[in-house]
Amino acid sequence: MNARRRSSFGGGSPSRLQPDVDTGPLLAVHDLSVHFGALRAVDQVSFGVAKRSITSVIGPNGAGKSTLFNLISGSIRPDRGRVVFRDVDVTGWSSNRLLDIGLARSFQVTNLFFELPVFENLRLAAQRLEPTWRAMLPTPRSTRALRRAEELIVRFGLAHKATEAAGALSHGEQRRLEIAVALASKPELMLLDEPTQGMSHVDTAETAALIRSIADEVTVLLIEHDVRLVMDLSDHVIVMHQGAKLAEGDPASVRMDGKVQAAYFGEAVHA
Amino acid sequence: MADAGSVIEAVRRSEDSRRRSLSAFALAFVAFGVAFAAIAAARGEVFFLRLATEALIFGGLALSADILLGYAGMLSLGQALFFGLGAYVSALVLKNVLPSFWLAMLVTLLVTTLIGLIAAVIATRARGVYFALITFGLAQVVAKVVFNTPSLGASDGIIGVPVIAIDLGVGQVTAASPAAFFLFCLAFIMALYCLCAYLARTPGGRVLAAIRSNEDRVPFLGYPVTRARMLAFVLAADVAALSGALYPVLRGFVSPELLYFEVSGNAIITVIIGGMGTLIGPLYGSALIVVLKSVIGSYTAHHLIVIGSLFVLAVIFFPQGLIGAVRPSLERRFALRAAPLRR
Repeated sequence: MNARRRSSFGGGSPSRLQPDVDTGPLLAVHDLSVHFGALRAVDQVSFGVAKRSITSVIGPNGAGKSTLFNLISGSIRPDRGRVVFRDVDVTGWSSNRLLDIGLARSFQVTNLFFELPVFENLRLAAQRLEPTWRAMLPTPRSTRALRRAEELIVRFGLAHKATEAAGALSHGEQRRLEIAVALASKPELMLLDEPTQGMSHVDTAETAALIRSIADEVTVLLIEHDVRLVMDLSDHVIVMHQGAKLAEGDPASVRMDGKVQAAYFGEAVHA
Repeated sequence: MADAGSVIEAVRRSEDSRRRSLSAFALAFVAFGVAFAAIAAARGEVFFLRLATEALIFGGLALSADILLGYAGMLSLGQALFFGLGAYVSALVLKNVLPSFWLAMLVTLLVTTLIGLIAAVIATRARGVYFALITFGLAQVVAKVVFNTPSLGASDGIIGVPVIAIDLGVGQVTAASPAAFFLFCLAFIMALYCLCAYLARTPGGRVLAAIRSNEDRVPFLGYPVTRARMLAFVLAADVAALSGALYPVLRGFVSPELLYFEVSGNAIITVIIGGMGTLIGPLYGSALIVVLKSVIGSYTAHHLIVIGSLFVLAVIFFPQGLIGAVRPSLERRFALRAAPLRR
């Protein structure tokens, strides 16, 4: 695994942890479970995400993928199990604390500040790179945040829309901005929840290239419906079915797995 | 495609034209105020000067309501709580401790920050309608308590607050001089406005705009939403209280009516008529409402019917308020003027 350590950790925020040594996986999920009423939405799921990898979670609708993301990113608390990120037990941490130690996420349903300009969406997210006391100084003093927002808006091809409201962007552009916003704070790990949801084939291909390019600087954990995209992109694939982990491994071995084929690929590939 | 350097430049230009149009409104407000004071003083119009001073004071209250409603998206129906608190604390200090304006302001600030924090802990846990109802309830409770507390004058309030001279270091302003005190209040309220306008442009203030736009997303950018809402609440409480603290200096008394819902409700109406989320709009709104009340009030005793109807019409035809109706053309003008210079 190309577990290359980053030389600088970007964040000036004092609450950020120092980068840890390469001991284990960046993210480790142990025996995670949550139920909604009688439904075991996520049932004793364990896996690890290696640094600098692209790991994907796939599975049919209702398999518990999004719930798993919500458990990891602090939106809901698990009934059981632990989430360990950078060797720190972060189970039950709030979303804003998780972001502070480098865990960011994007959303399946585009979740932006639609009334605010595109650039401001990015600048807000990048402001976490600045020390907290700068929050009360004039915005232009936060040069690191401005540079980061500028860098991302150019890289994600949205520079010509910088002063337009995010709500005025096309669907594909909004999906791109969604990823850029999650990336703005220079997280260690990004959870991308169906980044290509509702996209055309062309946009999907572009997004795949984008994800591959951001994987140089950040570890990616991905939920995706597009199986071809997943197999093409991922170092490691986790298959979920009815809340439980069905299989995991590299794309080729997962594809060959009999259980997976029965439960999932049988329908999905020909769908 | 635009290159990197021009992006920040374009963003700055767009933000500048917005900021400048609001600054122009603020400068015009000061200019109107000074011109009004000069004319009214020359003609010895004590009544109108005092009325205008009251408009400024209630403008400060509306400004505080706009911080919550226009920036953080929180509808407070209890800003009168802090306005009245400031008025009572200031009256008590001036009457019973020391007739010092700045001491009264300092004590008001400290007391309000403390009580504002307590109220924030209670109120900011709730959202939307529930937040509105909690602020309404808190203000009603305090109003009733004050109304029934003999040591605070109960239903009579506190009367006989001394007429004071405000020490400005280089000289004094006496509250007995209507024109001088009006100008002092203008400077005081504009200082509060400038502070709020500054904070709204800082990264911290922009987090409030983000909360208003999409509260659920904000924690995933790393900002604790509840803390930001609490800070906005306390800031608004302080602005309301410092405005209220001017009231006994002007009128020489305070009464429990200052804590009533009518005062909180009027503040919201003022914000909407003036232009929500503009900060300067509420000051114009307050001036407009006071003018309407006194002009229409001189023809009919039922001026509230007219003002109520005007409010309905204003919301239908000018949902962005007075400032919102005029600003777009002004912004375009600034943008046009700025562009050729930078090309």
